Amino acid sequence: MPYEPAFAIQERILEARMRDRLPSTIILQENSSVFTIGRTGSRSNILASADELQRLGIEVLEVNRGGDITYHGPGQLIVSPLLYLGDVDLNANQYLHRLEDVLIDLLSTFGIRTYKKKDYPGVWWNQAKIGAVGIAVKHGYTFHGFSLNVNLDLAPFNLINPCGVSQMLITSLHQILGHEIPITEIKEKLHEILVETFSLSMRDVSYKEVQEVLVSGNA
Amino acid sequence: MNYDIVVPPTADGSAEVTLVSWIKEVGSPVKKGEDLAEATTEKITLYVTAPADGTLHEINVPVGEKVRVGQVIGVMVG
Repeated sequence: MPYEPAFAIQERILEARMRDRLPSTIILQENSSVFTIGRTGSRSNILASADELQRLGIEVLEVNRGGDITYHGPGQLIVSPLLYLGDVDLNANQYLHRLEDVLIDLLSTFGIRTYKKKDYPGVWWNQAKIGAVGIAVKHGYTFHGFSLNVNLDLAPFNLINPCGVSQMLITSLHQILGHEIPITEIKEKLHEILVETFSLSMRDVSYKEVQEVLVSGNA
Repeated sequence: MNYDIVVPPTADGSAEVTLVSWIKEVGSPVKKGEDLAEATTEKITLYVTAPADGTLHEINVPVGEKVRVGQVIGVMVG
């Protein structure tokens, strides 16, 4: 799904969540190819020309998460927990680091040992970044979250300075393990880890079901 | 009545954040809970929201400055 309509849905769910019309909700999505620039980012970190981006079909969007530029595309799982920080008893910084822990735990179930790096948020394998974090908080409710490179084509990262850092290495589960991993497998394991980390009781819902709640309350 | 506009205490109490935008201008009517400004750390965007219905009366901190959690950055009149 393209980034902009996907984010519009996230904003509507956030509004409904803030009015207590929806419980804590975690949105899982894959986007079509896009460079997103966070609030501390700059277009100067795009190394490709506008023509080249058009030829490759990569959009560029400025978005309201923290952080600089990154790439999203098919094969990358984007996870946006819409939680109330008071419910999980964390402040925003602690929550951000807890998301990194979720990624580390998730990757360990695939036998991949990753770590956090001081002053470089995200999750790292050897010297390469495999998962990125970036959140926003409104009235104590969280949105945005983290992304994990599963089977993502990594070539577009060569067209940017990811997170504003030149020569940053990026990797994926596919690259490390040497074969594709079904996204459904990631989602199942992630479900268990999120339930445990945030003491949630979760069930899977389709966007259609959520949409019915949004429409019925005109949220 | 005057209401202080405060950077929300959702981040670590010692955290310094950068004010990146004022979403409303001085004189704008705003509803309680509406977004007034955005502040950001490296990976966290915090929304500063209206404490009451009223008008944005005063902006004390310009875009680009560092602010602390809990700091008053403007005033609303309700």
